[in-house]
Amino acid sequence: MPSKIVQWINARWPLNAVIRWSLEEEMPGGASYAYVFGSCVLLIFLLQVITGLWQLLYFVPTIDRGYSSLNYLRTEIPFGWLIHGLHYWGASAMIILVGLHISQVYIWGAYKNPRQLTWLIGVGNLLLTLGLGFTGPVLPWDERGFWEAEVAVSSAGTTPILGTLARNLLQGGSVLGQLTLSRFFFLHVAILPGILILFVILHLVAFRKFGISGPWDEAKRKRSGFFWPDQVFKDGAVVTFIFVILVGLSAYRRPPFPGPLDIMQTFYVPKPEWYFLFFYQTLKAFQGVLEPIGTIGIPVIVTLLFLFLPFYDPSPERNPGRRPVAMICFFIFIAWVITMAIIGYYSHPGVASGVTSKVSTASLQPSKVSPGNPPAQVSASVKQGEQLFNSLGCIGCHTIKGRGGVVGPALNPQLLQGKTRQWLITQIRNPRSHNPSTIMPAFNSATDQQVNEVVDFLLSVVHGKPVIRGPVAKAPPTAKVLVPPAAPPTSGVTGPHGPPEAASFIIGNVELGATIFHQDCEACHGPQGKDKVPNPGSTGGTVPSLNPVDPFLFNKNAQTFINSIDPYIQHGSIPDGPNPALRMLPFGDSESLTQQMIANVEAYVLRSNGVERAQPVHPGLEPHFFFWLMVIVFGLVLGGFWVWKDRR
Amino acid sequence: MKDNLFFAEPATSRRGFLKRMVGVLSALVAAAMTVPLVGAIIGPSFRLKKARWVKVGDISSLPLEQPTNMKFPYKTEDAYLRETVTHDIWVTKHSSSEVTVFSPICPHLGCHYAWHPETHEFACPCHGSIYSVTGKVLGGPAPRPLDTLPWKMEKETLSVEWETFKVGILQKIRT
Repeated sequence: MPSKIVQWINARWPLNAVIRWSLEEEMPGGASYAYVFGSCVLLIFLLQVITGLWQLLYFVPTIDRGYSSLNYLRTEIPFGWLIHGLHYWGASAMIILVGLHISQVYIWGAYKNPRQLTWLIGVGNLLLTLGLGFTGPVLPWDERGFWEAEVAVSSAGTTPILGTLARNLLQGGSVLGQLTLSRFFFLHVAILPGILILFVILHLVAFRKFGISGPWDEAKRKRSGFFWPDQVFKDGAVVTFIFVILVGLSAYRRPPFPGPLDIMQTFYVPKPEWYFLFFYQTLKAFQGVLEPIGTIGIPVIVTLLFLFLPFYDPSPERNPGRRPVAMICFFIFIAWVITMAIIGYYSHPGVASGVTSKVSTASLQPSKVSPGNPPAQVSASVKQGEQLFNSLGCIGCHTIKGRGGVVGPALNPQLLQGKTRQWLITQIRNPRSHNPSTIMPAFNSATDQQVNEVVDFLLSVVHGKPVIRGPVAKAPPTAKVLVPPAAPPTSGVTGPHGPPEAASFIIGNVELGATIFHQDCEACHGPQGKDKVPNPGSTGGTVPSLNPVDPFLFNKNAQTFINSIDPYIQHGSIPDGPNPALRMLPFGDSESLTQQMIANVEAYVLRSNGVERAQPVHPGLEPHFFFWLMVIVFGLVLGGFWVWKDRR
Repeated sequence: MKDNLFFAEPATSRRGFLKRMVGVLSALVAAAMTVPLVGAIIGPSFRLKKARWVKVGDISSLPLEQPTNMKFPYKTEDAYLRETVTHDIWVTKHSSSEVTVFSPICPHLGCHYAWHPETHEFACPCHGSIYSVTGKVLGGPAPRPLDTLPWKMEKETLSVEWETFKVGILQKIRT
């Protein structure tokens, strides 16, 4: 019956002819694993199309919903983690495979006459693939995507003569916003894939006209092979292997959650995707007037070098051993790309020189003085005052010498200039007498000596130089065991003064949260939230620990956990007790932290307690389980087939 | 090579084996992809809406045995959207600690119905269903009585569990 249907179709559509054209290819020299890369690119591209389409079921390209709709897919949709993971890792795989394919073609000299057109179309494919890799990461409009769009638009603006036009067209509107995102979406989902599909077809037709160029060694060309099934089998085996790797990466190395876009965020160091790192690093050599040479000149020149290769290298010699110039140029290019990429990866552009990139875990110690500053003759009381500034909690709200919170004004020399000792003492003991509407608590439980030492420290700042702000903190290791606090319950709080707000349904970034925590929370909650910082005047006697957090707030479901801690950060709360010196400030209501920053801090606090903010709530099958199930099934079927083959 | 391209070869031959292997590999990868793709499409399609308790308001000023429409803000969860909308319910106060709460959605086809004090009946404008003050169907195409909602009272402050039910059927089944 199936053959009758096939016959019926064949009489009306050239089905057999198409199949024969696709599969019947004689391969001089036989099939080889060296030739698999082209097919691998094609099949991984097919995977990208399918996973890309499936993401359209849930992702919406708007600046307010892009990130949250993608996270909904990744955490609430069965196998959403896999579909997005395959697409994310598949993009990297496709670029690597394209690189391997181009390298193989180059080494075999397969771009030479009569295959020049195949090569030209191939360069087009390369540019389209890079374009896809460029426009894709912008779409979630998260902390990473936005900056990639910003760089794209600004770089377009450096084009000589047409710069303003290019920039405005790419930006789409008067600001980098919704219209920009829509344009990137249009390019990534419709235009670039559409043109690429057309170009791939043209590329395949051009390729099939002459077939593979094959070995350059005449002796090796004597052996013959066929595309079907010899080469197809090799292609299939390699692609299956790549597929299994991609699933493994999706299960064990989930694509990151960069955190929601927060324009005011200053800790995030934007860097492009790894495959553009070489270009990012190279551009650093072209500053100022030279910038267009880097942003436009280099890509244009490299593209032209690629394009015209068959024409400035017309010699028919294909043996790489007899093409030293070609091979040297190849290795120089590869070396440039790899070296620049590695340097770019490890570079820290935003951090001032002389400061290390590891944050000191003993943050209650006096801050380090930057090099070039003469080590001051610091008296004992100033040192003591600095330690009290930390332990009494002042640093939670005030920045001094470049470190601290941003709830209150920064205690820099300009602010402190002209303030007498008595004024400062009154400000600490009774801030409301200076400003009735201040939220600064009155530190009237500190001793006179302590207050004087803090004032000594403050006054020393008036005459000292500021220290460069500390760098990005590292995320904490996941807490292994949740230990209930043995101490009397620290939760003598009256409860937060309101419900969860917007931050409670934004998935934040743990690393950024660690930095914000270090700056704004650590002074009261201790480094990594572990310590029991004294809170004189409160019933519990200390500020509640956050690592581990109180059991009545903890929940292994991320959303429930967040809903119980978010209200404290948003609306603040006052601990029980006759006169608590410290209370939780309403960081949300006072807008001293944006909702995005609060979301990041919450992700960090959850991670410290062993809970992933971005846990897949409805994964379909757990990622690790799905991966190993797939590996076992694949192994059993293929192994069984192998045994069956040997039995006959 | 003019042979049947696919599986005419005996499996023992090398070519035959390779052809079958390609088939097996394709089937494995296709199966590994089909499960997640189908799972992601079905996804949340059959999930129930989350029911949540929400505070409605103070019933102390409500008249006895007279259905009153009470409105309240409700934070909806629609996929990744969070919005505050206004919902309403029909509340009949029997005493300061006892009420009946009706969902405002007509079980026939989902319209909002109204209370008519002059005839002492609920009436739906869409297709003419009529209900008594206890929610019993008095006339019209309604398939079942008015749907009640769970409620609780704390010192004359009423809270309800906002739920919705499938329309047009005999049974009261949550959506």
